[in-house]
Amino acid sequence: MMTSAVNHYFRSSIGRKHLVGITGLLLCGFLVSHLLGNLLLLVGPDAFNLYAHKLVSLGGLLYVLEAGLALVFLVHMYLAVRLNLENLRSRGKYAVKKRTGRGTTLMSATMPYTGMILLVFLVLHLMNLKFGSVYTTVVDGTEMRDIYKTTMEYFASPVSVGWYVFAMFCAAFHTAHGFSSAFQSLGWNHPKYYGKVKIIGYLYAILVGGGFAFVSVWAYLKGV
Amino acid sequence: MASTTDTMSLNLKIWRQKDPTVEGKLVDYKVDNVSPDQSFLEMIDVLNDQLVRKGEDPIAFDHDCREGICGMCSMTIDGKAHGGFKNTTTCQVHMRLYKSGDTIVIEPFRAQAFPVIKDLTVDRSAIDKVMAAGGYVTANTGNAPDGNAIPIPKPVADAAMDAAACIGCGACVASCPNGSGMLFMSAKVSQLALLPQGKPEAPRRALNMVYTHDSLGFGNCSVHAECEATCPKGISIEHIARANREYMKAAFSYHEKTHSEGGA
Amino acid sequence: MSLNLDSKIPSGPLSEKWAKHKFEMKRVNPANKRKFTVIVVGTGLAGASASATLAELGYNVLSFCIQDSARRAHSIAAQGGINAAKNYPNDGDSVKNLFYDTIKGGDYRAREANVYRLAEVSNNIIDQMVAQGVPFAREYGGYLDNRSFGGAQVSRTFYARGQTGQQLLLGAYSGMMKMVSKGKIKQYNRREMMDLVTINGKARGIIVRNLITGELERYAADAVLLCTGGYGNVFYLSTNAQVSNGSAAWRCHKRGAGFANPCFTQIHPTCIPVHGDYQSKLTLMSESLRNDGRVWVPKKEGDTRKPADIPDEERDYYLERVYPSFGNLAPRDVSSRQAKFRCDEGKGVGPTKQAVYLDFRDAIKRDGKEVIAGKYGNLFEMYERITADDPYKTPMMIYPAVHYTMGGLWVDYNLQSTIPGLHVLGEANFSDHGANRLGASALMQGLADGYFVIPYTLSNYLASTPLEKVTTEDNAFKDAEQAVMLQTSKILGIKGKRTVSDFHKALGHIMWDKVGMSRNEEGLKSAINEIRKLREEFWHDVNVPGDTGNFNLELHKATRVADYLELGELMALDALERKESCGGHFREEFQTPDNEARRDDEHFTHAAVWEYTGQNSSPIRHTEELKFENVQLATRSYK
Repeated sequence: MMTSAVNHYFRSSIGRKHLVGITGLLLCGFLVSHLLGNLLLLVGPDAFNLYAHKLVSLGGLLYVLEAGLALVFLVHMYLAVRLNLENLRSRGKYAVKKRTGRGTTLMSATMPYTGMILLVFLVLHLMNLKFGSVYTTVVDGTEMRDIYKTTMEYFASPVSVGWYVFAMFCAAFHTAHGFSSAFQSLGWNHPKYYGKVKIIGYLYAILVGGGFAFVSVWAYLKGV
Repeated sequence: MASTTDTMSLNLKIWRQKDPTVEGKLVDYKVDNVSPDQSFLEMIDVLNDQLVRKGEDPIAFDHDCREGICGMCSMTIDGKAHGGFKNTTTCQVHMRLYKSGDTIVIEPFRAQAFPVIKDLTVDRSAIDKVMAAGGYVTANTGNAPDGNAIPIPKPVADAAMDAAACIGCGACVASCPNGSGMLFMSAKVSQLALLPQGKPEAPRRALNMVYTHDSLGFGNCSVHAECEATCPKGISIEHIARANREYMKAAFSYHEKTHSEGGA
Repeated sequence: MSLNLDSKIPSGPLSEKWAKHKFEMKRVNPANKRKFTVIVVGTGLAGASASATLAELGYNVLSFCIQDSARRAHSIAAQGGINAAKNYPNDGDSVKNLFYDTIKGGDYRAREANVYRLAEVSNNIIDQMVAQGVPFAREYGGYLDNRSFGGAQVSRTFYARGQTGQQLLLGAYSGMMKMVSKGKIKQYNRREMMDLVTINGKARGIIVRNLITGELERYAADAVLLCTGGYGNVFYLSTNAQVSNGSAAWRCHKRGAGFANPCFTQIHPTCIPVHGDYQSKLTLMSESLRNDGRVWVPKKEGDTRKPADIPDEERDYYLERVYPSFGNLAPRDVSSRQAKFRCDEGKGVGPTKQAVYLDFRDAIKRDGKEVIAGKYGNLFEMYERITADDPYKTPMMIYPAVHYTMGGLWVDYNLQSTIPGLHVLGEANFSDHGANRLGASALMQGLADGYFVIPYTLSNYLASTPLEKVTTEDNAFKDAEQAVMLQTSKILGIKGKRTVSDFHKALGHIMWDKVGMSRNEEGLKSAINEIRKLREEFWHDVNVPGDTGNFNLELHKATRVADYLELGELMALDALERKESCGGHFREEFQTPDNEARRDDEHFTHAAVWEYTGQNSSPIRHTEELKFENVQLATRSYK
């Protein structure tokens, strides 16, 4: 088994946890850039559309980036699902099971569920926005997609906003555990810093989850 | 002894299972005259005594030193391994923590890696198997230099001792929502990775122990830290992080020549 | 019948005996070692270290353990530490000092040559354990820390928090697991040794019960090592673990192994007192507590005031009063006896009046709570968990409890019993502690025997003994197994009215009252009668439900108690015959005017070795004279 240590890495519980952690942190990074983009909604239609147009103009590079992002998503989901299925098998089947209250949190216990909700959300989100109604507009003499309009239209529905806010709440929950947990999985738990990492994880969850939700509510209120 | 003369009556629901091949179930028992100074296991002793007098099969449970160090006692009490009290093994749980009239559910330590043998007794030989995979320093008797030949900084020795305190009871596995054995495995990896004596074979140890851990039906760590909360010796998941590091280093850098490559 | 009690002590000066013996002993060629199989019963410090070392040498080892894992053997519970003559603190320690202290502590009833060897190899043990990754306590400079223990004049005790036994055992266990992974050790867990099989007068195998399936199993080998610990559980309540038992040693005794000094029992002074008849075990509070705690009882009989309400002038700090120079640090046997005297006078405290105070009030006042918590925090927590009393606020209550048995199977210098091929290691043998064991010496002895003595002496045995081929189909195995089966079905067939625990508790009461801390002729004689009667009742009225076919816990207990009912009688008999007081053996008839032990060196400077002669005849008492050529026999005084 020695010579195939690297192979084993990808099949071992720790190796796969590393990968879940790394992909998780990459996704956390993606969320930050996405949120910064969304905040341009507050600036105005032109800023938002220009930003989107810039991205699209990347052409081939965008496809590479999107493919990379998709791969990160897929690896994260695939491994998380597999690990969870294995864990279902491994765990003790108790007639009565309680937690000590000092370990498992609501956040950690609901990881598979929040993850699943986020997956559904992701599909709908792509359908409704990226692949949603297409309008065009002209900014500074260039014709481009009016994704601002698509977005504002989408957020005009209280149902959409409700679902969106709920999904962002799940994202916050998921990252509140996932962020610091990734550090632990990658072996970055030092008694001097881990407490701070946890706090940063919670702040991240609140700011990012809250940020997205805020933008959607703002968009709804603007349309009313 | 802050003893009281008040005794308690308790309703117990205890897992009875004749052997691994049959289904088990929770059976109701009632014990009276329980003294608050009695230990939890002594309360079971009294119940067993009553059963034996009636000619019934007593409840099989593991126990030995009854002072919290051998790691033999198990039991999941009211859904929590060792009862869920901080830094306490089942044998050190005392009845004063309960009150008369309480209903207590007692099940074995459960996990895929710990099959039930009988009643509350489970097979924890998987722990030994993980240890045999590398939980040692290859230092044959007679090889040792003077004990003071290698100074070890006190904080390092203390951290190694924190990990070494593991009693191998398996409560981490029983309490883990994933049935993972990461805490006890990592405690050994971490102890020996910290100490200079353990460093020469640290990569090999990490690889082999993780490999064996995974192959025995233990689950994966998803950082609930329920193990840390349940561990009667208060072992921190920091040791899991260290094992994760050790494993990653080893997986990508350790290379041992095989025979065909001209190795030993 | 007779026993061969040749101690085989090598000639020459004391300090050269072991080196000379090692040179002279025969060795087994490395290629031939793999042809030998050795059975090791028990996985405590002695058994685990022996198994690991013999397997490293190339022997095939079959290791048996009664718990579910080798890592749970009761050596794990030792708290305080392990002695070695390293002299790291530069306080003048030496091999000779450790040797001398151990001989004196044992009240001159141990064999000089064995004890000297023990002191000699003590240093190797520390080195070996450090190399195996045992995290001993260290100073900031990175060097090993030492503490003083048991009133010794030097600091020679190495420790790992309050879990030294655990760390050493896990070290030895890890060495074993290394050899398990290499296939040189086969482990048989949850097995209890039921009998020894001898063929042509040599130990060649064992019969064990598989505790899960109930089936009997046979194992053959070229030699058998018995590392099964002591028999303190004869007393029902002791600091021993629940399955620690004397049966393996007792069955070997019945097969011809001499049993030496069975009456030498150590009663440890600082244990949590008995508080109810449901109690299953007595918990030790480390001896180190007596470094700062003061032991006292009220001066007035039957004083029921709270300890805090009793002013200093109405307290009797009796250890300080009786032993001004050693005070609260008087040795274990002496301190235990004094506690008993006070309770016998009616000055005991607590609900049962069978306890004395161990008070930290003055130490907390002097050093502050922080300092005391730093030293004893975990012990205080443990005490509070068990008793619900906070020792920072109110004194601990303690009372002596059975802790260790110095007696055991007789062995020669090579650790071989009177049965060739049966070697006995650790607490199970009698050799090193005389009539009283010093603190932090049990761990030392177990590891010395397993790591540094048996590998040499066993090789010598295997190389110099003609060993014919045997298999488990030989008649000796069949007969031994048959005998165990018969005993089992007999016990199961009784279906009487009393439980196994009833008998065990009754035996414990007899032993504690009459063969305990203080013994006299009348009591011992009546104990013998009572035990015989109880044994009779056991075989007519015990109730063991179920059958052998599965995990029958009551049956397991019953076979052990059946043996205790015989061993207990031998202990009483030995105590009766030893008409002197020495170490843990205190005969009321033999005391100085101020109640101290009075030895009789003229008549009793020997080990009493008992020979089993059958169920219906009396055992025969043989003696091995102890020759003291290097130390002067003196009266132990701690005044």
